[in-house]
Amino acid sequence: MSEFLLELFSEEMPPNLQISARNDLLNILKNFFENENINYDKNNLALSTPNRLIIYFKNVQKEVIKISKNIRGPSTNSSEEALKGFLISNKIAKNKIYKKKLDNGEYYFFNTPKKKIKTKFLLEEKIPDLLSKIKWKKSMRWGSYELYWGRPLKSIMAIYDGNTLGFNYYHLKSSNKTVVDKDFEEKTKVIKDFKSYKKFFSKERIIIDQNERKKFIEKNLINSSKSKNYKLFIKNKLIDDVTNILDRPKIILCSFDKKFLKMPKELIVTTIEYHQKYFLVYDQSSKLTNMFYVVADCNDNKGLIKKGNENVIEARLSDAEYFWNINKSKNMIKQVSLLQNVNYFKGLGSYLDKVQRLKKICGFLSDEFLISKEKVEIASTLSKVDLLSELVNEFPELQGILGGYFAEAQGFDKEICDSIKDQYLPLGADSRIPKNIYSITLSLADKIDTLVGFFGVNITTSSSKDPYGLRRLTLGLIKIIIHNNKNIKLNELINFNCQVYESQSIKFDNKVILDKLSNFILERLKYFMKDKEIRQDIIETSLININLNNLHVIYTKAYKLNKIINKEVGKDLIKNYKRAYNLINSDLNKIEYETLSSVDPALFKNDYEKNLYKKLHDIRKNFYNIKIENDYDAQLMLLASIKQDINIFFENVIVNDNDESIKKNRLLLLKFLCKTFDNYLSFAKIENIK
Amino acid sequence: MVFKKKELLTFQSSIFNLQNYWGKHGCIILQPYDMEVGAGTFHPATTLRSLGPKSWKAAYVQPSRRPSDGRYGENPNRLQHYYQFQTIIKPSPDNIKKLFLNSLSAIGIDHKIHDIRFIEDDWESPTLGAAGLGWEIWCDGMEIAQFTYFQQMAGFQCNPISVEITYGLERICMFTQKKKNVFDLIWNSDGITYKEIFYESEKEFSKYNFDLANTKSLFVTFDILEKEAKDLLDNNLALPAYDQCLKASHVFNILDARGAISIAQRSDYISKIRDMVKGVGELWLKGNN
Repeated sequence: MSEFLLELFSEEMPPNLQISARNDLLNILKNFFENENINYDKNNLALSTPNRLIIYFKNVQKEVIKISKNIRGPSTNSSEEALKGFLISNKIAKNKIYKKKLDNGEYYFFNTPKKKIKTKFLLEEKIPDLLSKIKWKKSMRWGSYELYWGRPLKSIMAIYDGNTLGFNYYHLKSSNKTVVDKDFEEKTKVIKDFKSYKKFFSKERIIIDQNERKKFIEKNLINSSKSKNYKLFIKNKLIDDVTNILDRPKIILCSFDKKFLKMPKELIVTTIEYHQKYFLVYDQSSKLTNMFYVVADCNDNKGLIKKGNENVIEARLSDAEYFWNINKSKNMIKQVSLLQNVNYFKGLGSYLDKVQRLKKICGFLSDEFLISKEKVEIASTLSKVDLLSELVNEFPELQGILGGYFAEAQGFDKEICDSIKDQYLPLGADSRIPKNIYSITLSLADKIDTLVGFFGVNITTSSSKDPYGLRRLTLGLIKIIIHNNKNIKLNELINFNCQVYESQSIKFDNKVILDKLSNFILERLKYFMKDKEIRQDIIETSLININLNNLHVIYTKAYKLNKIINKEVGKDLIKNYKRAYNLINSDLNKIEYETLSSVDPALFKNDYEKNLYKKLHDIRKNFYNIKIENDYDAQLMLLASIKQDINIFFENVIVNDNDESIKKNRLLLLKFLCKTFDNYLSFAKIENIK
Repeated sequence: MVFKKKELLTFQSSIFNLQNYWGKHGCIILQPYDMEVGAGTFHPATTLRSLGPKSWKAAYVQPSRRPSDGRYGENPNRLQHYYQFQTIIKPSPDNIKKLFLNSLSAIGIDHKIHDIRFIEDDWESPTLGAAGLGWEIWCDGMEIAQFTYFQQMAGFQCNPISVEITYGLERICMFTQKKKNVFDLIWNSDGITYKEIFYESEKEFSKYNFDLANTKSLFVTFDILEKEAKDLLDNNLALPAYDQCLKASHVFNILDARGAISIAQRSDYISKIRDMVKGVGELWLKGNN
């Protein structure tokens, strides 16, 4: 069994560096084996703990045969020096080279000998280079060494086929020993193979495999909480983080004073889960309890670790409580004017300017949505006051949410409080999307004002950079509109927003902004549709002549069409359309449709034409029937209902009649059909069914 | 160095123990820098000595002023004036983790029975033009120290690399003395409390920092200090120029606590200080290569 085991022991490596380094190194080695034609078992491993990066390959071919290659050297006309250089760099004697003529002159050549190389030697020679290929997002130096690594690298263990692979890497020398204690880095142990390596650590209760570690933590958390009749909502990011900052997990159930449960629960969640990386516990009705699990990196025989962690939470929560009590009772209305001291963005005024704009934009939207103007104006006026609070300074991730709680504490309407809480939503892929109309109003206004302002002062995004999160913000805007089935007149809103800026003497070119923003929003909409797995051709066609006022309609039509496109009814729809479309667009039938009058029923020669014409008229009449105006499924079904009439028409009517006027009339009838279909969206760009 | 069980480790004996410990390990034990600074890092024994090729080992207590963190003495965890213990070693030794963990034993924290973690915390000081990689050290979930390998200082790459360990003395003593309020800490074996020594000063300085500091004259002071620093740099005097940077930095911190500096101005002032420090660093390097 020729196995290859590499362990890089370092001081504590942060989770993200650990993860990318272990994946990186595994790929680097795979590529290396493949380039060198060395076979290996596909079941290889890249493992890590905060201190260890471990790579393991099984059944690595012991010897590799290097076939002879011929290498071209300098031209025979070139100087002695060039030849010398060639000989030295390839480590060859002069009598091994020969001359050969090519099309463009004569050159020296050299044939590398065919030879067997032991994989062990190859690894010893190449590993140092391979290690240097790891791409660190952040790396550092330490002491007087030249090496850059994620964190100080202390020791390298490299074993192949039971023996040490000997090489030097900067100041370090490889060995067959692993460092046992990560604290003092003094005790070492000789390792023979992966099996004994794993066994050794499992005896020490160290789980070197991150997947096993994660499962172990998860299992213990779930079992423990179940036995006590609690519920957990384990967040993936949290458990991944926890898994990668320890190697000897041990769960400890802790608690805090119940009085803190009176505070906004977000303060508790942020403190316990985000800051301290502990797991909160819920009761059977999913209500937050005063219990939490700590995952420690060692046993807690004396209960000291439990006590210590509880004290930390106690201190942090009482800190939050202290600010909460002060901030919630500070009159919000009276604080609004202080926002003039807080700069919003260079060229876009202060936060007071911002809320004054929001107030107007929300007022504008309230007319549109037929909701209380007074409420949206209060909500927007209060929306940024929490930025002045110590609590938001301590918990910046809770801005907005805390403002909502302050407003609640001061007796404002629920709709006002909720809209303040929701103003920045949605924030990420899984984030909640505002549903209440007041929340929608403030959230839209905030986003539009940011977009218009930033585009106004020419802060946009580049392909890789989006420092102000404008892409995410725009995606949020789109999600709000689409998930709430709202047709928002974005064009008007953007223009109005520009006027509001102008009233503050901040002047933008409306047309330029509308133009740039349209493109920007369009790009995000495309991304959004792709994410919903809508076919590319449907996306493209639905975005022709996009009107920002119709984002929701555009999306829904594309979505509905996408749903049926691979079903019988969808295929028929496209087939019928294409048949008509191809006929009217074929070269033979090129006529100036625009200059001609519409279909002339007097020129119909048979019932097939008449029926089709009548059917099309019925469809057009029904298409805008109130009942199905916003029912895009029904619209598609209506279009599909013409199937039989078209089939009969094509079976019995020859479009290319000898009489030019009849022919033209028939083509016009088909044109009429296409135009009817195009009321849904332009089917022309939809690809034919395979 | 041996910590007897059940004997309360007072605030001052914690300091003595750290001084003894690092003194035994070859650090020169310095005294605090006699100026208002925001952290032990600002002591020239760290900033300037971390530049250049010469070896350096030092440890000292540094009173640290953070005007914005004051709470009028009303908060059990926040102070505008507190103590850091700082160790700086260049080049960073290979066994620094062992040295550090043993130093914790010297102040009553046995790493074998506590959950000591190294949590990623890459450090940056925009005013010092400094950056480093390292960790905050957690003991049973509480941050007790910062552990940083300096990569850059005053805008210059460090070579060799220094390691800086900053102990939060109040935090550590609250942990070892099992106190929930910083003002309840026991300072010496006579039972003098932290409150008796510092409560009044927390109250008064909070009042000054937040409510009374004369912003107009402080803005003027800042400009004077900046000019002074430039003049001194023109006269090739790195250390006095650096003092002006420290003074300017503290003036900036008070203005910030007073809410007198807008976000836009903020980065402006920070870059002014950074430029001064850079000038100092350059001059210092010339003399110490």
